[in-house]
Amino acid sequence: MPNLLVPIDLRQGAPTGPSLFALSEARRVAHIAGVTVVAALLGDPRPEEEAHRLAARLGVAGADKVLLYEQPGLDAPALDATHGPALQLLAGRVPPLVVLFPAGGAGMQLGAPLAARLGAAFAAGADLEVSDDPLPLTDSVGRLCLRRWRPDLSVYRRLDPVELERPVVAVLGAHGAPREDGTPEVEFQVIEGPAPQESPNIVELESVADEDADVALAQVLVVVDPAVGADAVAKLAARAPLGVAVVGLDHVCQAALAACMPRLLLRVGVDTVPAVAVPSPRTRQGAILTSPATGAALGRVDVVWRGAGPKAWDALAALLPRLAAEPHGVGA
Amino acid sequence: MKIVVCLSPSRGVAPSSPIGLDDASALALALGLGDTHAVTAMLAGSASDEGPLRRALSAGVPHAVRVVGEDFGAADFHTLGQALGTAIQRVGADLVLTGARSEDDGLGAVPAAIARHVGALHVACIEALVAADGGVEISVRGGGRRRRLRLPLPAVLSVVASGPAMPPLPDSGGEPPAIEVLSLVDPEATVVRRRTELLGQPELPRRTTEEVTSAGALMDALLG
Repeated sequence: MPNLLVPIDLRQGAPTGPSLFALSEARRVAHIAGVTVVAALLGDPRPEEEAHRLAARLGVAGADKVLLYEQPGLDAPALDATHGPALQLLAGRVPPLVVLFPAGGAGMQLGAPLAARLGAAFAAGADLEVSDDPLPLTDSVGRLCLRRWRPDLSVYRRLDPVELERPVVAVLGAHGAPREDGTPEVEFQVIEGPAPQESPNIVELESVADEDADVALAQVLVVVDPAVGADAVAKLAARAPLGVAVVGLDHVCQAALAACMPRLLLRVGVDTVPAVAVPSPRTRQGAILTSPATGAALGRVDVVWRGAGPKAWDALAALLPRLAAEPHGVGA
Repeated sequence: MKIVVCLSPSRGVAPSSPIGLDDASALALALGLGDTHAVTAMLAGSASDEGPLRRALSAGVPHAVRVVGEDFGAADFHTLGQALGTAIQRVGADLVLTGARSEDDGLGAVPAAIARHVGALHVACIEALVAADGGVEISVRGGGRRRRLRLPLPAVLSVVASGPAMPPLPDSGGEPPAIEVLSLVDPEATVVRRRTELLGQPELPRRTTEEVTSAGALMDALLG
């Protein structure tokens, strides 16, 4: 069966939520499309018991098979120079039909270089789908495709690896809550990598916690225009539950915004499309505008509330916890 | 240090700005390294795509090159990377800077293809850059960390804007130098795989916007 390779992001030794969701999505399509879901882990050598625990967790999330490539230094944040060759080696072991990077993780550094090496198509933010269009494959399984939208949502492209006759490397778009449709009884293989190469001689001079790291992983992102006021940002942030990030557009780092692929994007007072990573059909977008007349440049939003007054922020803050709840049908 | 800043054609950029946000940031970082470094602005496209190059020249970049070959507007990132990489090797560069995301498709894959073609190290989405002894120092985020790294050269680095507003670019005034046109006649470098082949066929979306008048209705509609 063809392989769907999911590179896993780890934080403090555990898979990130978007990584587990990517496996869930892969599992969702696996039976229909007839693919094997392979989780790819890159990391420092770790105790056998810990590795097996990790593999079992990935199996529960949806992996059929887990490949762990161990090499000193790979627990560091991913860069193509340090992690790219190892990932390419794994892609060589299990030639993929699709490589599906989780949102908000290493895909930003490793996705495009891997596509360049494999001669693959690349989609910076995409959703998995299975269809019989244009034709089902000969063995009657569905065709695994990726759908990628332009940043302004004006148009999307469908990437079909069978039609393209080459693999597709993609970073998964809007993410949601992972499901647990798999089993811990997973095929597990550890690959011990060679000693790190001498080049490319990258020296880490400083490493501090990224204060915007949660933005990249947020399922729900609320972006607030500075004109709305710092009070509104504070009110909303104070009531934001886990998984909901509230950021002032003037304070948040653009790199974090660019990595964020939320399932729900709410713009407060922001009447232009912020540089959030590519949304997808499953990114529900809402906008709250302070003036009835604004919003000409909104782009495509699903819901808009025009002319919201100062009291709107209190009402919105009180309702924010609802946003953390998984809406019916997401990822289904 | 010889620096090439690769710019995206101005297709899809707001008419008020001839250059994209991330491209402008890449240009600002290159110019911020100082006069001791030779900066070249480069773009693959037709004469009608020259807007970003003209802006780079007016910002003080002494040399601008437009790469011509096949229809780059219809080319995929492999082809663009190959074409730009070939041109960069002709011009010569220790450091290549690009915007992290183009304003139209926003793939961010061309820098990786350039790096592969020229055999240089590649780091995406850097936020700061200074020249260091024999290399460069960069700031980059990932894995929950914000890191400062020293990199050897040659390197291809994509730059993400530090804020939502355009970085201030100088305007030198006066008559800018002419844009050099570099034709790639090497057949191997001008093989264009059509965008529709590698990126799929565009289809129009079907989305509608619902108007609401309260926070509760907004939540209901979003979560519905």
